[in-house]
Amino acid sequence: MQKSANVVIIGGGITGCAVAYEMAVRGVKDIVVIEKQYLSSGATGRCGAGVRQQWGTETNAILARDSVKRFEGMNEELEYDRDIEFKQGGYLMVSYTEKEWDQYKKNVAVQHNLGIPTKMITPLEAQAIVPHLNLNGLIGATFCQSDGHANPFHVVDAYYKAARRLGVKFETYTSVTGITLEKGKVTAVQTSKGDIATSTVINACGYAAGTICKMVGFELPLYPQRHQALVTEPVEPCQGPMVISLHHRLYCQQTPHGSFIMGVGDPNEPKDFNINSSWEFLEDVSRQATTVLPLLKNLRVVRQWSGLYDMSPDANPILDEVPGAQGMWVAAGFSGHGFMVGPQTAVLLTQKILGQQCFMPIERFGLARFLGGELDLESAVV
Amino acid sequence: MLNKTGVPTLEDIQTVSPSEERLKKGPVAIIECFQEIPCNPCTEACKQGAIRPMEDINNLPKLDLDKCNGCGVCLSRCPGLAIFIVDASYSDTEAIVRIPYEYYPVPQVGEKVVGLNRAGDELGTFEVSKVQSGGQKNKTYTIWLIVPQSLAMEVRGLRLRSTEIQPKETIVCRCEDITLGEIQALIKEGYSTIDEIKRAARAGMGPCQGRTCRMLIAQELAKFYSIPVGEVLMPTFRPTVKPVKLGTYAGGE
Ligand SMILES: Cc1cc2nc3c(=O)[nH]c(=O)nc-3n(C[C@H](O)[C@H](O)[C@H](O)COP(=O)(O)OP(=O)(O)OC[C@H]3O[C@@H](n4cnc5c(N)ncnc54)[C@H](O)[C@@H]3O)c2cc1C
Ligand code: SF4
Ligand code: SF4
Repeated sequence: MQKSANVVIIGGGITGCAVAYEMAVRGVKDIVVIEKQYLSSGATGRCGAGVRQQWGTETNAILARDSVKRFEGMNEELEYDRDIEFKQGGYLMVSYTEKEWDQYKKNVAVQHNLGIPTKMITPLEAQAIVPHLNLNGLIGATFCQSDGHANPFHVVDAYYKAARRLGVKFETYTSVTGITLEKGKVTAVQTSKGDIATSTVINACGYAAGTICKMVGFELPLYPQRHQALVTEPVEPCQGPMVISLHHRLYCQQTPHGSFIMGVGDPNEPKDFNINSSWEFLEDVSRQATTVLPLLKNLRVVRQWSGLYDMSPDANPILDEVPGAQGMWVAAGFSGHGFMVGPQTAVLLTQKILGQQCFMPIERFGLARFLGGELDLESAVV
Repeated sequence: MLNKTGVPTLEDIQTVSPSEERLKKGPVAIIECFQEIPCNPCTEACKQGAIRPMEDINNLPKLDLDKCNGCGVCLSRCPGLAIFIVDASYSDTEAIVRIPYEYYPVPQVGEKVVGLNRAGDELGTFEVSKVQSGGQKNKTYTIWLIVPQSLAMEVRGLRLRSTEIQPKETIVCRCEDITLGEIQALIKEGYSTIDEIKRAARAGMGPCQGRTCRMLIAQELAKFYSIPVGEVLMPTFRPTVKPVKLGTYAGGE
């Protein structure tokens, strides 16, 4: 393995691979990505890969809105030889409680301000979009047609191949074990295959970003939390949009391949690194899914799995230089929506590191926000 | 090893290998059954009392080498295709190995076929000297192969020469319709583990959860990287074992 690099990126998920590409395409040479297993083996390859602009905080909404534009042209931009399978069937966010509906109204106001064309619709209008939706107790829904989902493996593959063509090196099955500091500055990254001297490190380790920060003695305000998902057998296309019910903690989509992917959040999930699959989840998600979308009861489950959310205190990303470790940057805290904002968080961080004009103020994602004052909490998290 | 690759170890084989002396005496059963599973048709099949009744149905079969006359009845009854008959008294230089066979087409007497070892590697081309059907309700054929004495305890499978594999037409993943040619192309492109191939092509993501293709892909990777199949990184085995309806989990049915 090489002994030195201009930039070392730790983590081969969407964040790491997209940052590698954005840097390389801006002319940075000699970049290496270090990945413990294979590319997209972390949360990225385990996620629902939903892409929605319907957020409650401006920060998340801007990143998602601009990332949608990128997903739309990604096959061409990255000259991908396969297909990232971006399907813009919309997101239908259904509401079964008054409190939730009030929150949705506030969120839609934020979205409209940013030019996101979300519509507030009646239960009957929602049913016209998803005929098998349970109207019992449904108050209303919000719908944005340009939301959708993509295939996370192919998105990462597309970034990987484009970055590789630009000269980026990828070291898979290689773990970062330590970071060397001299006088508060990063000088090297220690890996299971030897040290790499460098002055710039990007920590894109998702759920493990805290572990990497600890290597330089910094406590990142981030915790891992298991989220489980399942996929069914494929059937004929019958559901256009991703359906989300925050009240049922449920998201559920039909992929272009025909299978349904769904998951529920568990409010009692402990904060740790456990990624086993549980029987309780199977029961829970089946109940919620067949309540909101009764027709699905006839679908057979093929596989279940789990992954880790990298949760930040306000469910907004953390993009900043690590205090006490000059040259080390962190991009984590994506709180269950790092896939959909991946393309633009990569651009923002790259612009900052290269000293270019940022397309939005990156300070809004800084660590300083956790030092005091009120956090702008994201309400629309499953 | 056996659990991972299906190939028994040398120690396993030694526990069921008769002495040189016994082998020279004439045909004898080699029972290569190494996993304790609830199964006992072999004990019922043997009319010579050479395979002792099992105290517990999970026990491994025990063969009395003196009582066994190599009739081969057990061979065609074993659902695990774990029994072979070796006759080292055939000639000074050659032996007969009888092998259970359950594919079509069935080879013909006089045909030359490719002999395989326990791992499926080719050992040479050998002549079929006899083909026995298993009887009316038994579709297990017994194929008699003439092999050199030195390979009598090695040859354990066969492949017809007329069925050379066509990568473009050979389906590796049946759920997702992925051919051997596609898998080989991905490996050449640099996808270096089963996990990576699965994510690039969906191989192993279908309802069978990779039961069919996993080992086939592992073999291709092993060939490409010249490593033993046992060293190919296995993907995570994920629930569920069997496709069950959402409604059933939800408790509605
Ligand atoms: C079940 C589930 C559903 C989700 N659904 C959605 C969704 O619908 N939409 C959405 O936008 N987001 C979703 N998410 C969240 C999304 O998956 C993540 O926010 C996003 O993938 C984070 O990407 P990342 O590249 O930052 O991190 P990851 O993809 O986790 O990548 C981090 C990488 O770092 C590697 N690594 C860790 N430690 C080391 C080390 N010491 N050395 C080297 N490498 C190391 C890991 O192996 C891993 O590959 C979901 C997550 C889960 C778990
Ligand atoms: S070959 Fe015949 S005698 Fe020998 S164990 Fe089998 S059935 Fe019994
Ligand atoms: S019948 Fe075959 S698989 Fe069953 S116990 Fe006997 S040798 Fe083993």
